Amino acid sequence: MNRPAAPAIELARVSRTYRAGRPEAVPALREVDWTIPAGEFVSVEGPSGCGKTTLLNLIGLLDAPTSGEIRWDGVPVGSRTDRERARLRLEGVGFVFQRFYLLPTLTARENVELPMRAARVPRGERTRRAADLLAEVGLRGKEATFPHQLSGGEEQRVAVARALANRPGLLLADEPTGELDTTNAGAILALLERVRADRDATLVLVTHNPEVARRARRHVTMQDGRISSDVREA
Amino acid sequence: MRFGFGSRLRHLRLQQVLAIAAVATAVALPVVLISVGSGVSAHELSSLENAGYQIVVSAAGVHGIADAHNLSERILGLASVTAASPVLSVTIDAFPAGGGSTPVLAEGVVPDEFTPTLGPAEKGLFPDPLPLGDPSDATHFANGTYTGPATDDVLVSSPLADAKGIVNGSKLWLGPTANESGAVEYNVTGTFGVPPTALGPTGVFAIVLPLSNLQVMSGVAAGANASVNDGADTIEVAVSGPAATNQTALEHVRREVQQLVPYYEVSSLDSEAQQLQAASGVLIGFYLALSSVALTVGLLFLALVLVRRVESDRRSIGIRRALGLPRRWIAREIVADGLLLASLGGVLGVVGGYLIVRALATWASADVQLAAQWAIFDPGTLVAIVLGVLALALLASGVATRAALRIEITEALR
Repeated sequence: MNRPAAPAIELARVSRTYRAGRPEAVPALREVDWTIPAGEFVSVEGPSGCGKTTLLNLIGLLDAPTSGEIRWDGVPVGSRTDRERARLRLEGVGFVFQRFYLLPTLTARENVELPMRAARVPRGERTRRAADLLAEVGLRGKEATFPHQLSGGEEQRVAVARALANRPGLLLADEPTGELDTTNAGAILALLERVRADRDATLVLVTHNPEVARRARRHVTMQDGRISSDVREA
Repeated sequence: MRFGFGSRLRHLRLQQVLAIAAVATAVALPVVLISVGSGVSAHELSSLENAGYQIVVSAAGVHGIADAHNLSERILGLASVTAASPVLSVTIDAFPAGGGSTPVLAEGVVPDEFTPTLGPAEKGLFPDPLPLGDPSDATHFANGTYTGPATDDVLVSSPLADAKGIVNGSKLWLGPTANESGAVEYNVTGTFGVPPTALGPTGVFAIVLPLSNLQVMSGVAAGANASVNDGADTIEVAVSGPAATNQTALEHVRREVQQLVPYYEVSSLDSEAQQLQAASGVLIGFYLALSSVALTVGLLFLALVLVRRVESDRRSIGIRRALGLPRRWIAREIVADGLLLASLGGVLGVVGGYLIVRALATWASADVQLAAQWAIFDPGTLVAIVLGVLALALLASGVATRAALRIEITEALR
């Protein structure tokens, strides 16, 4: 399977409101206009509840905007069917979550293989690729280990390996170091930076930690569902 | 949820074990009901098909056939008819030599006519010829005057003989009521076995004596006080030649008999067999209806367990969908789970039902034991039951799949 090229992502007046049992709609994102060129490393900062995760979910097609339009390489993705959006996520996006979200009944190798199975990667190819990815994240020898037998740092490494399984062009990391100690956090960030650079992928990293955000080349800050600043390093 | 079948088995939880047990119970019920029910029906049908007679003359009411000796003679005169055996069945009282009385089922027969109407299975149970002294029952009957000398010979069933210490040559007093003063002394000239039966009276304590003797004793012989002259319950007619094997030929003989006795019911065992088959079909249908209720309850339980599992696996399902796994993958895993649980329950139910029937055949009361021993485990029926369960499991899985696919990814990952 050829690696999909990193998409250029555009958000045009994107809003997202939630109702979720409340009588009045709660705006999580308010008419955001934003562009992420392919291959960029962007951090998204801001206090809790400012809309960082909502923004990431919309970019990663986990959610749909209430209004506005999201485009990948100039193509609107809001009108795609659920199946098409799932296909784009499967082949084009790698997610790394704060709480790892590994499947507890699968081993490390099976967790990494899962997206490849869904993408119909041949058995031999996915077994080899899963072994290579686990070795790349420093987990050689832990292939048959279940998540509950791993440390937090190791679980997040498996999650990174899983995110890279289908060689996505877009990596989305939501507080990837939020539940890790300093040493493991540093290692995970270094790993993400390295794989992004090696694969020339776009990396959007959501964090409320300024130290973590500083590793990116472009820094976006959010406030009350809006982008309050967008600074690109020279 | 895991990749393979073996992995799924290793991760069974209590709820799933209970779901398997519910399906197994729901399957065991139809297995027991249908196997025993069809076994008993088949046995009774076989008894009917293997009877030594093919046509029965009967009448509504007690001892409804009058002039039984004469009618039997006339039926015997028809071509193809080899025996016409009038039978009178009455419950009377027997007084063994050791004292006391016991009610017995008495059958009055014409010995020479009775023996040819016995089926292959019954023939070995009776002495041949019947040692009742007057083979044609003509001497005592004396053309309906009942003035000839009676032989006063009687045959007793083996269970009665064993229970009352009666042997060949014993004396046995028989009377229409429990009042011994009205009883007549008989000589026991032999015993006969009792065929097993699950439907109708078993006749374990039974006797066989000449028809005319029993007619006199039960008040259906002749005279002003007789309710019916020369009465009998049935006349069993045996045929030979084409009528014995060909339904059309048998029907022809039946019509000839009917012309002789237009006021009585004349039926062939073929039609009785058809009626029995129809009745069995109704019974099996009833069992299936009962079973479908059990299966529905079992499958509702399965659906509940699957839906609960979806709820407890919300996050896991959300992760899968976030990674981009297609909806059909999620659906396939739930359906696979449902089918696995239903298959395990189905197989356990079939095995459990079989073991229950075997246990009934060993430890239940005598009648139930007998019925269980006749049980038929038809592979086609068992496969159909399991396939039915799998079809219902698909429906149950569909309910759970619908619930799973309605989960919002972002909600599940919160």
